[in-house]
Amino acid sequence: MKNKLMKISLSLMLVLALVALAGCQTSQETQAPQEKTEEATENQEKPKNQVVNLYTDRHYETDEELYKMFTEETGIKVNVVKGKSDELIERLAREGADTQADLLITADAGRLFRAKEKELLQSVDNETLFDNIPENLRDEDNQWFGLTVRGRVIVYSKDRVNPSELSTYEDLTSDKWEKKILVRSSSNIYNQSLLASFIAINGEEKAKEWAKGIVKNMARDPEGNDRAQAKAIVAGEGDLAIMNTYYIGKMLNSSDPEEVKVAKSVGVFFPNQDTTGTHINVSGIGLARHAKNSENAIKLMEFLSSEKAQKQFAEANYEYPVNPDVEPSELLKSWGEFKTQDINLSKLGEFNKRAVEIFNEIGWK
Amino acid sequence: MIRTKYIKHSLNSWSILSFIFISLIIFPNLNILMNLINKPNENWTHIKTYLLNDYIINSMILVIFTGILTTIIGISLSWIISAYDFPGRKFFEWGLILPLAIPPYIAAYTYNGILDYTGVIQATLRNHFNIQLSQKYFDIMSMKGSIFIFTIFLFPYVYIITKSFLEKQSAALIENARLLGRSQLEIFIHVVLPISRASIIGGVSLVILEVLNDYGVVKFFGITTFSTAIFKTWFGMGDIDSAVRISAILLLIVFAILLIEKLFRGRKKYSFSNTKFRPITRKELKDVKGILAFLFCFAVFSLGFLIPTLQLAHWSLMTYKKILDIEFWRFTFSSLSIALLSAGLIIIIAIIIANYCRMNDNFLSKLYSKTTAVGYSIPGAVIAIAVIIFFIALDNKLFWLYKLIDKNSSKLVLSTSITMLIFAYIIRFLAIGFNSIESGFEKIGKKFSEASRTLGMNITETFLKVDFKMIKPSIISGFILVFVDILKELPLTLILRPFNFNTLATKSFEYANDEMIHEASVSSLIIIIISIISIYIFNKASDKEAS
Repeated sequence: MKNKLMKISLSLMLVLALVALAGCQTSQETQAPQEKTEEATENQEKPKNQVVNLYTDRHYETDEELYKMFTEETGIKVNVVKGKSDELIERLAREGADTQADLLITADAGRLFRAKEKELLQSVDNETLFDNIPENLRDEDNQWFGLTVRGRVIVYSKDRVNPSELSTYEDLTSDKWEKKILVRSSSNIYNQSLLASFIAINGEEKAKEWAKGIVKNMARDPEGNDRAQAKAIVAGEGDLAIMNTYYIGKMLNSSDPEEVKVAKSVGVFFPNQDTTGTHINVSGIGLARHAKNSENAIKLMEFLSSEKAQKQFAEANYEYPVNPDVEPSELLKSWGEFKTQDINLSKLGEFNKRAVEIFNEIGWK
Repeated sequence: MIRTKYIKHSLNSWSILSFIFISLIIFPNLNILMNLINKPNENWTHIKTYLLNDYIINSMILVIFTGILTTIIGISLSWIISAYDFPGRKFFEWGLILPLAIPPYIAAYTYNGILDYTGVIQATLRNHFNIQLSQKYFDIMSMKGSIFIFTIFLFPYVYIITKSFLEKQSAALIENARLLGRSQLEIFIHVVLPISRASIIGGVSLVILEVLNDYGVVKFFGITTFSTAIFKTWFGMGDIDSAVRISAILLLIVFAILLIEKLFRGRKKYSFSNTKFRPITRKELKDVKGILAFLFCFAVFSLGFLIPTLQLAHWSLMTYKKILDIEFWRFTFSSLSIALLSAGLIIIIAIIIANYCRMNDNFLSKLYSKTTAVGYSIPGAVIAIAVIIFFIALDNKLFWLYKLIDKNSSKLVLSTSITMLIFAYIIRFLAIGFNSIESGFEKIGKKFSEASRTLGMNITETFLKVDFKMIKPSIISGFILVFVDILKELPLTLILRPFNFNTLATKSFEYANDEMIHEASVSSLIIIIISIISIYIFNKASDKEAS
């Protein structure tokens, strides 16, 4: 009789143990999730078991092709863990010295800066990277490097706005645009980085004035993402939207014909050409502080910044390559060249916190 | 002598296990509350000055309006269905439960997809009729929109509970009132409302807890509430201390709501000792009245089930070729297996605790049965934060053990594994399993097991040979309920899953948030279909029990 109970409790323990075990297994799997696909292409001449583990927030099929190319060239397998940027950073922090990650790829300099602040990255002193990536597009201490560039621009209704009326970000706060401006919520990092860049260039006071002016001119309370702003223009809710360039590219190539129509009826304008330049941001890569395969990781960094990889890597997301020797895609070229803000993107991270506070203080939702 | 020793022993084992499980539930959550005493950091001052008000106001608006609207829709439908007969009544009786099969976050992005500028309604109007209406008629990504979503997809809680009360308990009172010549409206106001107050409040408090728990809808619509705030401060600002603090405040609010519920419910009790099932004789509604009743039910059914499901089916047809790859089957499989496994564990634990509580009528057993209910009232984001803190501490404590097993073991074993997620599911959904099992035990009473004990079997044997067979239906229905809830669960899974671990729910949510609404439809549809099947089985099972 006693035995029965013992059996029950024992089997319960067993179940719990099994669960724990299953858990360990899945976590091991995640450490080498891409092994199967890469195995076939492994190079025999190189020593086996050369790997690099990558945490990335990108999910494009073309990336896999690039990793394959890299493996063919170097014999180093690329293991990829995909996730949301903030969660990846949080995970890196949680794993600390035990992390399997060698590299982190994530969008926005603000986030890369946060990873640096949390001491998750380390400096890389590498001439190839310095040659391939302009100085302002990488961290001051070389803890992260931009790989692709996007602009945050003004998108306007082709029907109702003559681009000659447009000039600067600052002009968006003038009375003529009252109830005309569409922009997403301030909880989004793109807006935070935009404001951070203004703090860096024009100082805190002016930046705050600008944010206030935008709130005053908003056509509606911020809602939806960047694409939703373009749709709202076409729907007539407002005339101008602040958006990242690549969303227009994505919409033009959307599987939904209605979205394509929307993208075709708006124009892209690069503001502040005669003054401080258009706000740009990067998607970038950093070497993990506790990387176990640093050498391989740096090789992958070099590869991704090289001429042969840059085009494909940038075009996957309709972005500009960081490598100045590589031309942007036809679509981006059709928008013309533009002058960019002349600040080191590290500043975006430095002023991120202040930017968030300003948004909260002035009530940009 | 020997027998008493046995009884004592097994009593202890059941109670020890119960004690362990209960402590595991309480401890992480107490930990959260303790943080309120700690000194806040500088971020907190900023949050308090500029943001906290918004969180409180928005959450309250959502709770209040959803509460009121679900009550109105829930009661009126349950009254129409249980007191009248009209065309389609039989179908709607269970059809009106179906909105529960669609998780609100899926409903949110589906409705957004239907209503937005490139959605089917506006595109059709524009392209075929050349009509362009103001966007304000289509603005669902707003406070009003979220109240609409929560109302339409959560009202069944009120509807189900009130309906079953009215059907089973109110026949005598209502028929007397009819005999005494009261009009329908008078009966509704003076009889139905007062006697069903307890069930209405029970249903509405479930709705409120669901609203506070939600992360998907408010995040997608960009409404700042407590749950989005917890995510934002934790992942966005990287400030876990402030996130814990927000969680603690939310926890206090939840406890306040539960207390209010108790007060409202506790004062007057209409308990009917007579459990004999006697339905109300239904009045037939003819002509216009019948049509109106039909239309009302049909409208709610369409909004809450038909329209979103058809839209999802349409999108699925557009995208299934692209979506159905090996990866898809992999996360469908992991989704189902984790839900099955967790539901199984929850039912086992629920049985152990419920059996202990039944055998022992003392302070401890009352405390246990109350504690199991706590988890369900705590929003997912709060449980997630509690569990993660708990597991990291646990890993630190167990590090020597890991080293013993594997020299190269990393420090974080449990907290990077799926165990953490399953543990969180247990905290959150134990209440549902426990309620089913407890009511099963209540129905069979203690007579049989006492007889078995007198005949010399111990508790464990009695349970396996006598009780288990008798409460089997409750075990099955409890299992189904828990299974479906885990399948739909979002916030816990989003935060606590190991990397590269996807479920149908997280995948739908991620697709939708990446503006790939069409791609999100297939996994959403699978969740809905499985939920419908489960609801159907559950309904059949409880019908059988009732008759």
